[in-house]
Amino acid sequence: MSEIKPEDPATAELSAEEKDWAAAKAFFDSLKTKVPRPPKPRNAVTIAVSSRTLFNMVAERKIYEDDGLETYVGFQVKHEDEPLKPGPAFPFVKALMNVNSRLRELYPDSEELFDIVLMTNNHAEVGVRLINSINHYGLTIERFCMTGGESPIGYLKAYMTNLYLSKDSKKVIDAIEEGIAAATMFMSEKESNLSDTQLRVAFDGDAVLFSDESEIIVKQHGLDSFFEHEKMNENKPLAQGPLKCFLEALGKLQRKFYEKNERMNCPIRTFLVTARSAASSGARVLKTLRTWGLEIDEALFLAGAPKGPLLQKIRPHIFFDDQMHHIEGAKELGTISAHVPYGIGQKYHKGKLIEQPEKKE
Amino acid sequence: MVKMSLDPIQVMSGQVKELKVSPSSNGDTRGSWEEKEVFDPNQLDRTAKPKPVTGRRARKVEGGVFFPKPENAVTVAVSSRVLFRTEREQRVFEQKGVEEYLRYQIEHENEPFAPGPAFPFVKALETVNARLRDLYPQSEELFDIVLVTYNHAHVGIRLINTINHHNLFIERFCMTGGSSPIGYLKAWQTNLYLSADAEKVREALAEGIAAATMFFTDKITEVSESQLRVAFDGDAVLFSDESERIFKTHGLDKFFEHERENEDILLDHGPLKGFLEALGKLQKKFYAKGQRLDCPIRTYLVTARSAASSGIRALKTLRAWGLEIDEALFLAGAPKGPMLEKIRPHIYFDDQMFHVEGAAEMGTVAAHVPYGIAQKYSRQQNSSTGK
Repeated sequence: MSEIKPEDPATAELSAEEKDWAAAKAFFDSLKTKVPRPPKPRNAVTIAVSSRTLFNMVAERKIYEDDGLETYVGFQVKHEDEPLKPGPAFPFVKALMNVNSRLRELYPDSEELFDIVLMTNNHAEVGVRLINSINHYGLTIERFCMTGGESPIGYLKAYMTNLYLSKDSKKVIDAIEEGIAAATMFMSEKESNLSDTQLRVAFDGDAVLFSDESEIIVKQHGLDSFFEHEKMNENKPLAQGPLKCFLEALGKLQRKFYEKNERMNCPIRTFLVTARSAASSGARVLKTLRTWGLEIDEALFLAGAPKGPLLQKIRPHIFFDDQMHHIEGAKELGTISAHVPYGIGQKYHKGKLIEQPEKKE
Repeated sequence: MVKMSLDPIQVMSGQVKELKVSPSSNGDTRGSWEEKEVFDPNQLDRTAKPKPVTGRRARKVEGGVFFPKPENAVTVAVSSRVLFRTEREQRVFEQKGVEEYLRYQIEHENEPFAPGPAFPFVKALETVNARLRDLYPQSEELFDIVLVTYNHAHVGIRLINTINHHNLFIERFCMTGGSSPIGYLKAWQTNLYLSADAEKVREALAEGIAAATMFFTDKITEVSESQLRVAFDGDAVLFSDESERIFKTHGLDKFFEHERENEDILLDHGPLKGFLEALGKLQKKFYAKGQRLDCPIRTYLVTARSAASSGIRALKTLRAWGLEIDEALFLAGAPKGPMLEKIRPHIYFDDQMFHVEGAAEMGTVAAHVPYGIAQKYSRQQNSSTGK
């Protein structure tokens, strides 16, 4: 439903055609107001998702990889009317839309909403199938970027994207380097029961919300130096990490609910799930959040305990972490997780080195 | 007038005139509630050292296990209200609401709380841990204490400061910001949950987690610093409440008959049996190293049962479960208070409020286990006669 604004006719006289046209336009205008208009990018919290995270396109991907582009496009066009199955980001997007409807109820004229953009490498021909799928599920995704093979990074910036979710870690790394919060999504095999009414987002601490300065100390100098360092610098805020701005955006929307006395019923809930220990290194984290003016609803300091079981209880729509082995642990127990490829944690992937992050705090 | 939505940045920089934050009270256990000075924001950066914290980390974490995996450790979850005394803050919360409560907590952030009813218990757990680490440096079978609280993350700083002030070692936190912590208890594989809120305790018991409600008393007797002492009631705590039912419905004689007839049939297990088992497992580790006489864990059974008439079944049941109990006191109806005063346990579990109150009067830290038929009789005082 694009806004086609016809040019005003130059002549002042209204011929029958023009009357028809004016009538049609009026009708069209009155139609449009029933569907909410997408907000302007600078006011909204823009979330860019790729088609493979929104929908489950594993089989199609296989065709693309095995048989090449032409076959893939042909296949998609042939199955245009079959909606795709939901992907890892699907529950997340649904929850965002739910928050939007709550926000519209409380603030009918505000543009501070979530705006979802589909950012995909696919060619425009595949677009029809995507649109059909989106309509099938009743999602409100009006903005599309079908780059037909080009990198989407430039478009992300143009849309003032607050968060970019993709299955392709290369694109995610590029985005993070450009300063856009981004994460690679992973689907879990197990079904989990996610809340329909409340968006739940869980974050790791170091190298996700905060920079990886502390992780570097742990990896290079060990736990004891880490504790000492944290204690000495307790009042010095940590530097910010890639997802800090997204948490900020969530907090801004949460405050809109608090102002209308909906704190107990707020449809956004944020969680900090960190392997840090509370008494030895927790104070710095909480103080940093406070200095940034950010609130977090629930804080879990694990001191090295596995994150999987707790995430299973939290049931977030998405969990951001920088270390693959936490992501894998979460996936096993049914949590939808997203990997943030940032910081020194990326270099520790094999054998004994994996043990270290567990013992970290 | 302070805005409804508290702006933490304003508080921190001292721009809000009404808020006066007192200086970090290092040495006092009771924070100075009355004297307040204007908070100087410039001091903030320079206070990198004066926190009481730096002095305490004498132990090196790398040598010895300090963060056991939940499945190996005996996890004890405590709520902030039983670990510390937070009555004043509770009142602020109840009378003035959430925002005011958060503001108050942030304002008093550097004032540590006073110890609460579970505090000596937690301290004793740490003593046991230290002994275990001496004997078994690589083992993860330790006590692990998790702080589980409804509080918001804002209050976390004050809790952390207090923990460090009292030199406790509590590294795992769950600050649920208002939602129920029961789900997290299972994820932590909690062996024991202590709270001040009877509702939460009941929920936990319903989920199969050993739990008890703790109360604060004014009079507290001194407890040992080197030995953890835990006292249990028998029926409806270690054992199920089947015998209590018979007693309550049919009277004492029937009860004795029934017990004698079923002497060899084991009693069903009660909510705290699992915790006693966990204690026993750790005790055996000391025995294995020849430290039986010097064991820093000691368990007591303090039951209103009579030994000859109904005691055998209790002892046989314990034996069949493979559980040892160090001292068994059969009171045959005598009041438990004076006995407990002599035992001086760090915690005493009972299912009947009457006994819990009696113990508290004499200075014992007692925890109520809201399980079994006795909960329906709590208003009537007929539970005073012995069994």
